[in-house]
This record gives sequence, C-alpha cells and structure tokens, in this order.
Amino acid sequence: MQEAGRRIQEEIIISGFGGQGALFAGQLLAYAAMDQGLHVTWIPSYGPEMRGGKARCTVVISDEEIGSPLVRRPSAAIVLNIPSMEAFEPAVKPGGILVVNSSLVPQKSERDDIHVIYVPASDIASDLGNVRLANVVCLGALIQALGVIPLEAIERALDDHLPERHRKLLGLNKEALRKGAEYGEH
Amino acid sequence: MIRLLQGDEACAEGAIAAGCRFFAGYPITPATEIAEVMARRLPQVGGVFIQMEDEIASIAAVIGAAVGGAKAMTATSGPGFSLMQENLGYAVMAEIPCVIVDVQRLGPSTGRPTRPSQGDVMQARWGTHGDHPIIALCPSSVQETFDLTVKAFNFAEQYRTPVILLMDEVVGHMREGVDLPDYDAVERVERGQTLVPPEWYKPFENVPTNIPPLIPFGEGYRYHITGLHHDERGYPTERVSEIEPWLERVFGKIQQGLSEILLYDAEDTEDADVLVIAYGITARSARHAVRYARERGHRVGFLKLKTLWPFPEEVVAAAAAQVDRVIVPELNLGQLVLEVERVIGREKVRRINRATGELIQPAEILTVIEEWDTV
Repeated sequence: MQEAGRRIQEEIIISGFGGQGALFAGQLLAYAAMDQGLHVTWIPSYGPEMRGGKARCTVVISDEEIGSPLVRRPSAAIVLNIPSMEAFEPAVKPGGILVVNSSLVPQKSERDDIHVIYVPASDIASDLGNVRLANVVCLGALIQALGVIPLEAIERALDDHLPERHRKLLGLNKEALRKGAEYGEH
Repeated sequence: MIRLLQGDEACAEGAIAAGCRFFAGYPITPATEIAEVMARRLPQVGGVFIQMEDEIASIAAVIGAAVGGAKAMTATSGPGFSLMQENLGYAVMAEIPCVIVDVQRLGPSTGRPTRPSQGDVMQARWGTHGDHPIIALCPSSVQETFDLTVKAFNFAEQYRTPVILLMDEVVGHMREGVDLPDYDAVERVERGQTLVPPEWYKPFENVPTNIPPLIPFGEGYRYHITGLHHDERGYPTERVSEIEPWLERVFGKIQQGLSEILLYDAEDTEDADVLVIAYGITARSARHAVRYARERGHRVGFLKLKTLWPFPEEVVAAAAAQVDRVIVPELNLGQLVLEVERVIGREKVRRINRATGELIQPAEILTVIEEWDTV
C-alpha cells in the first residue's frame, strides 16, 4: 500500500541463520533511523525452537507513525543464507532492493523488477579477519543503495551500541560497513 | 531521552516507574522478558523478584506482597493467565491492588507461543467465575505500554482492585523509540491511609467513597481476608444484608471512576460515515488504513480503545451514532465486537477477524472501508 504524499516508508527484512547477526544488523538500522528523527519499529520473528533456527527481523522506517510493524512484502531485504533467499527473494516489492550474501547463496535472482545486489559478504568479512562481520557488510550495501539513512548514522549506532565484548571490533565493523557500501553504489 | 525499547522492557520500566517493588512470575513466551528485566531492575531499587514454581503461586505471591504493602505485579501469557483465574477472583473479592500482565499469544492451549493474538479479551473480563468488575488496559505501541503500565498501577491503588494489562506478542517483542520520563516525576497513586486505631479499622467498610483504605499487614492492623463473601471486618458472612452492600460498593467504585478509567483516542469522528474501532496491535493497522482512506476522500473516523474493561459503552455509542457503518478488526474470531454490537446493534457492524497468528494488514481494512464507502 503506497501512501499519497509520503516521503519515507521502508520495510526491511534481514534474515539468516541464528548467529549470523541478522537481528543486530536490524537494530543498527533501527538506531540509525531513530538518530535521523524517523519513526522506527524493529521486530524479531522466530519459531518455537531455541537454537539453530531461522533468525530474522523486520525493520520499518517511516516519517510518520508506523501502521503495521510486520509486512508480507518488504521494500528491501538482506538474505544471509539460502533458506532466506528462497523465502524473501519472491517477497520483495517491485522496485525494491535485495541484498544477497553471494558467498553463501550461489543462486541468482530471477526477478527483473527489483534491484539485486550480490555481495560476497562472508568472504569480505573473512578477509577483514572475522567472518561474523558479514551482516554489517550487507547492511553497508543496503544503506548505500537505499539512500534514506547516511552511512555515518550507522557508524554512530555502532559507536553507541556495539556490545562491550565486541568493542575491539569497532574499527573492523566500520571497515566492513564501508566495504559493503561500495557494492551498493549504483 | 529516547531509547529503543522492547514492549516487554517498557512494561517492566513502567512498573518500576509506577513504584512496583515486587514481582513474582513463571517464565513463558512472550512475557519472559518482563520477568528478565524485573529480575535485574528490582534489586537495584530495593525491590524483590521471585521466580515461582508456577503461575498459580505467582499470583498468590503477588496478592500476599500487596497485602504486605508493596505495589506488586506478575506477567504471563494465555496458558499462565488461565491458571491465574482463580486467584484473580480472590484479588477481586478481597479488593487487593495488583497488576497482572497477559502478553497474548495465539491460543487455545499452548497454541503458537511466538505469535500474537487478541484472544484473551473475554478471558480478561469473565475468566474468573462470578459477577465482578474488572479493569483491563490494552497498549498498541511500546510507548503506550510504558504509559499504560503506570496507569494500571495507579488504577489498582486508586480503586483497590486487580488491573489487567493485555499486551500481545508483537507489542511485547517489538522495539520502538520510547521517551522515558524522569521516574521521580511520574504521577503515582499511593495506598490509602486511615486515621482510626487498629481496633476500629474495617478493611471492607462501606464508606461513602466506596474505597476503604487497605492497611498493610504488619502495621498492627489485624484483620481477616477471605475469598468467601464477608462483612466489613472481613469475616465470612451468609447475610444478604452484608453481601448486597459489598456488591454495590465494588461495582460502584469502578462505575464512579469511569471518566478517569476509560482511556481512548478518537480521530476524525465528527464528519465520519464509517467508523473503525480497534485496540492493541490491530489499532495500528486500523489507524494507518483510516488515514490512507481519508487521503482518498473517504469520510472515515477512528476510535482506539485503550481501556477494554469496563467496556466504554457511552464512548462507543457516541462515536458510532452518526455513522452508517462500524468496522471492528481484531485478532480473534470476534470478541470485543460482541460488546460493540451489544451497544449499537448488529446491523451497522462489520467484523474483520484473524486467529492464525498473522497480523491484520492496513490494506485489508482499507479494502473493507472502500467496499462500503464509495467515493
């Protein structure tokens, strides 16, 4: 549903295995959007299993109060693994953005009505020294392609919210973000 | 300061802000995070957290703490709420101020633990047996969860009654920006005091205000509490001449406070042909649909109910008086709509229901608006 006169409304799904950082990437996005004075909702979706399952979150960003925090057709998605690709590649709205972690997802999208960005995120993250940075690499690509939130807002979110135990990875996170952003440039 | 908080976290923070200093509970999705935050926060403010063996014990401990003078809360979801029903009635009967949070998930039984529902609306009203009044509040955002949790504690103290906060899985797990006030500046209602000495004190006295103060155990005021019908001193009675005044008083104390208790937001109702009435998470989709329909020229009004019980009869009747149609979307197969239909009749009312664990989307409500209101 598009709203007349609306300036900003993005629904973003970030999806992967538990442990790939899908939820944290979503939180960075949420903090950054809040930092820009936008309304934001972040909601995890998970099943009854405790571990090893799918982990995904939906982030809605808007310049007005958000109607539904859950959407069936997102305007953008980051898919970190194959099951996520299968679930959300068909769901992205026409004209939307799909960021694919091509290190782990070999297949190509068959859609010609969306902007697909293939990022070898896990490989880039490994080269940087920590494969777990793949979520931030993909987020960099998405932010750059989306053009709604500046990269610096994500960096500030990292400054403020990277957990204490990962503090030493702050610099690497920012590097991962910028590497990813290069893939998001049109 | 604006923080990105989960609804469950905002509930716990609202409780702390309202002065809650006792929590007893048993973990259950999607309410566990409330207990988690309370376990961390209560010791910081001199409060007590107990993980109990089950939900029956949890509400029993909460009632005990409240009689001891503490503002007390428990939090659960449908299966646990079912177990709490007997003691909820005890709290109504003994007029114990306390807050019971039900973060609704899809039922019946264990249902779908990680999916939202609004299926406990009637359970909140009639889950415990016997005729009784109850207050139930229902937030639709994280900010409202904070605000209504504070209200729940204040209503509990003000009216000496258990108050139910009906959240749902999405409101509970969702994170949103929340503007947390300075807790010292939050308006709090404190327990009533008495001027009479212990030997004159009657904990269930039929006072003109209808709300006799509840003096905590341990302060020298010795009295009896029971789930049986009782006299003004709290001792069991079989006398109709004592039971009738009690009934009048406990219903009267809520009735007299309706103007304060009934919380709602009305938008664009003045010139509306169609009215959408919604609450909780569904109110967000509804408001979105209404605003969109307005932009497309439909004369649609919106009524969001934050107090579900007592049902705001006059508010609904007034808002619906001028319209041709009333749409009531809810995440159940038709619960609060029964009250709407009771008040304004069935002819005007159209239901939108879902009880699968999925949300009702704005577009679905918009479709119904446009079916009826052709521009």
